[in-house]
Amino acid sequence: MSRFQALTNAVLDAELDRLRVRLGLEPNQKAELLREMAAIAGWVARQAELGRTIEARRDGESEPLVHPALERLRTPVEQPVGARLALSDAEIRRLAAILDGGFDPPPALRTALANLARADRQPPPLHWPPAA
Amino acid sequence: MALRLEPLNRSHRPLLADFQNPQASLVEYLQRYALRHAEKDLLARTYLALDASVGTPRLAGYFSLATVSVERASVARQPELDRLPRFPIPGILLARLAVDTRVRGQGLGRYLFETALGLTLQLAQTGPVAFRLFVTDALDTEAARFYHYFGLAPLGDDFPCRMVLDLRPLLAGRSST
Repeated sequence: MSRFQALTNAVLDAELDRLRVRLGLEPNQKAELLREMAAIAGWVARQAELGRTIEARRDGESEPLVHPALERLRTPVEQPVGARLALSDAEIRRLAAILDGGFDPPPALRTALANLARADRQPPPLHWPPAA
Repeated sequence: MALRLEPLNRSHRPLLADFQNPQASLVEYLQRYALRHAEKDLLARTYLALDASVGTPRLAGYFSLATVSVERASVARQPELDRLPRFPIPGILLARLAVDTRVRGQGLGRYLFETALGLTLQLAQTGPVAFRLFVTDALDTEAARFYHYFGLAPLGDDFPCRMVLDLRPLLAGRSST
């Protein structure tokens, strides 16, 4: 919390003020500034959620927008991971082929099943590197 | 036994901060959401691999299991799918599996996968419900290779890549032994 407050008070306030000037707003228009920022950030977040790359382009050059928050949006960490998976038609066709195919487990799966059947199954011993 | 598996609970909180993995989402899920999903929301259960051979137990890896319902996004009829079970198809989702970077390459990932599969087969065989699929999402090519090695087949070509294993033949094989 203290680090967040320090950033807010010192760095972020200055950054927000620079943005206010760039956007042509007066010092008493902080509510408008936040509204415009929220609209821009909302658009960016929606594009990231859709898996789209956000780029700045000019002439032949392009620079992607990279930020950890956008990566989190692209990889929905918080989602309970399952519950309901809606497959596309292409995925469904592959699933159909899998369910319809014969059973030919690879050696690693046979080994895994054999290991699971063993009463004396042991985890591997682990070796940690020495602490730096 | 130096390594033991325990379902994640509040007493494990101090161990979570030390977990290291190159996939930030796997670290973030463990440290921010896994306990809530397990205890409050009841969405997924996470199992920790704790290594006690070094004195104070250290978190070496984890996996999370949840239920899943596989459905068709499209309702358009496809005659070639008529032979399939009616959708949705229930399954168990291996939602996360991760090994601490410092103990990679020592067989822990394989051990955790086996354990997750074993718990799933046990539930399918003796539990009060039936389900057909073992599902996971491979985050990258390395993960996809790992799961493919164990017989999971990809449903797509992009990442994260959904991969499935049909449990029916495994259950038939196990019940006959």
